Amino acid sequence: MGSFIQLSNFPKIAPYAQLFWEGLLVTVLLSLFTVAIGFCIALVLALMRLSSFMPFKFLNQDANGNMKEGGGAIGFISRFNPLSFIATAYVEVLRSTPVLVQIFIIYYGVFSVVDLPTFSLFGFIKFNRFFPGVVALGMNSGAYLCEIIRAGIQSIDGGQTEAARSLGLSQVQNMRYIILPQALKNILPAIANEFVVIIKESAITYTIGVQDLMSAVNAVRGATFIIVEPLLVATAIYFCLCFPTSKAIAYFERRMSHGDKR
Amino acid sequence: MATNGSLIRVKDLKKHYNGGAIKALDGITVDINKGDVMVVIGPSGSGKSTFLRSLNRLESPTSGSIIFDGVDITKRKYKDENGKTVRVDIDDLRQKMGMVFQHFNLFPHMTILENMTLAPMKVKGVSRSDAEQKALALLDRVGLKDRAGAYPIQLSGGQKQRVAIVRALAMEPQVMLFDEPTSALDPEMVGEVLDVMKELARDGMTMVCVTHEMGFAREVGNRVLFMADGQLLEQGTPEEIFTNPKNPRLKDFLGKVL
Repeated sequence: MGSFIQLSNFPKIAPYAQLFWEGLLVTVLLSLFTVAIGFCIALVLALMRLSSFMPFKFLNQDANGNMKEGGGAIGFISRFNPLSFIATAYVEVLRSTPVLVQIFIIYYGVFSVVDLPTFSLFGFIKFNRFFPGVVALGMNSGAYLCEIIRAGIQSIDGGQTEAARSLGLSQVQNMRYIILPQALKNILPAIANEFVVIIKESAITYTIGVQDLMSAVNAVRGATFIIVEPLLVATAIYFCLCFPTSKAIAYFERRMSHGDKR
Repeated sequence: MATNGSLIRVKDLKKHYNGGAIKALDGITVDINKGDVMVVIGPSGSGKSTFLRSLNRLESPTSGSIIFDGVDITKRKYKDENGKTVRVDIDDLRQKMGMVFQHFNLFPHMTILENMTLAPMKVKGVSRSDAEQKALALLDRVGLKDRAGAYPIQLSGGQKQRVAIVRALAMEPQVMLFDEPTSALDPEMVGEVLDVMKELARDGMTMVCVTHEMGFAREVGNRVLFMADGQLLEQGTPEEIFTNPKNPRLKDFLGKVL
């Protein structure tokens, strides 16, 4: 068998450099879109979880429209918040099932019913593979980002809300002008970290035929019967993507915490 | 003493926790008149802050009523003089009450000027130029006009509290509520904040002030309330309270703080 890595194999896979380059672009684009979609989903979910929407509260109100304490089963129903319940259920289900299963359900389930146009972006990204991949990964990372955003919102001192509401700002204005700008600034490093996680996790989308870095490895293997060396090339590329990014995040995190002492 | 009608009427206000096991407020009845400088004193845990925070419904009372501007703000809806049911717009009422907190609660991501113009612009719909002009005039009054572009983090505690006061004033409130405004300050900064409050009182602003500054209560207040265990035990002019206290709890309290 000889040695585990054969240097002579690298020249043999060199002609496929274009595949790796395209795979790299797909991986980066996939991750960017995933974070963008995940963030939007997460923001909505976080606001749903923190909402105080109680459609059945009329069941347990006094004559003045104030909520009463306790009240057994009726009290429980009256405090039931369907928005929060749905968001919590979504987060728990998505976090407690494998990403691979979610991707298969989205690709083979949802997008076997929904017909996607078959065109290519930039000439090499197949939209009908790329899009389901982005949706599945975005939905998954939305669940994780939701918890990050929720923690970010809850970390803002309650005095901020009190001050804003005392000035006459509504609940929505308080969220928009006071809480979210501060919360998002605080969680920016966490969101960037999620981006690094997704770069790595996106490798799984090769299973539904997204032509990312991992599928470039597969293509080279199919053509040359060489497996270890292409994998090493992919490993190096993933590392060069993730390591500097996480170092940069750590750097900005340190710098931001300097200017933030209150 | 100003007797031109009461601005806020508090009647039998109660705030209970754990189904009545803890009584933070246990039946407070008091009228706050226009032009009053009412100082609330009492030992910690006596319900002073809860009382003050109930006045703009940062705390929801368990029972009782607070009539402000003809509206019972403890209710979600009320019947007006024609018997029509109206929803209480708490945001609308809150902008008529300025609130100053112990920990300033300035918005750290905004400059001083932005802190002061946000609510007038977004809530009252004042134009940016008008709001900024007014804010700068107010900052000038408290000697901080040159710090308009600074962020709260760059200010000392006393400066922050002065900004917090003028931020509330920018909304042109009918009454100012102060929740221990000097308790978080270094001793040498207490004076500059009290000076601003004194000037405000001289200008005729109605003020309700929870404080431990007995000198301020005596000098500026026209009415002093003494609270303990969620109850209003004694009230009167500063003269009556400080030189001729009747309630034994008040005597005991004054013996400790004076």
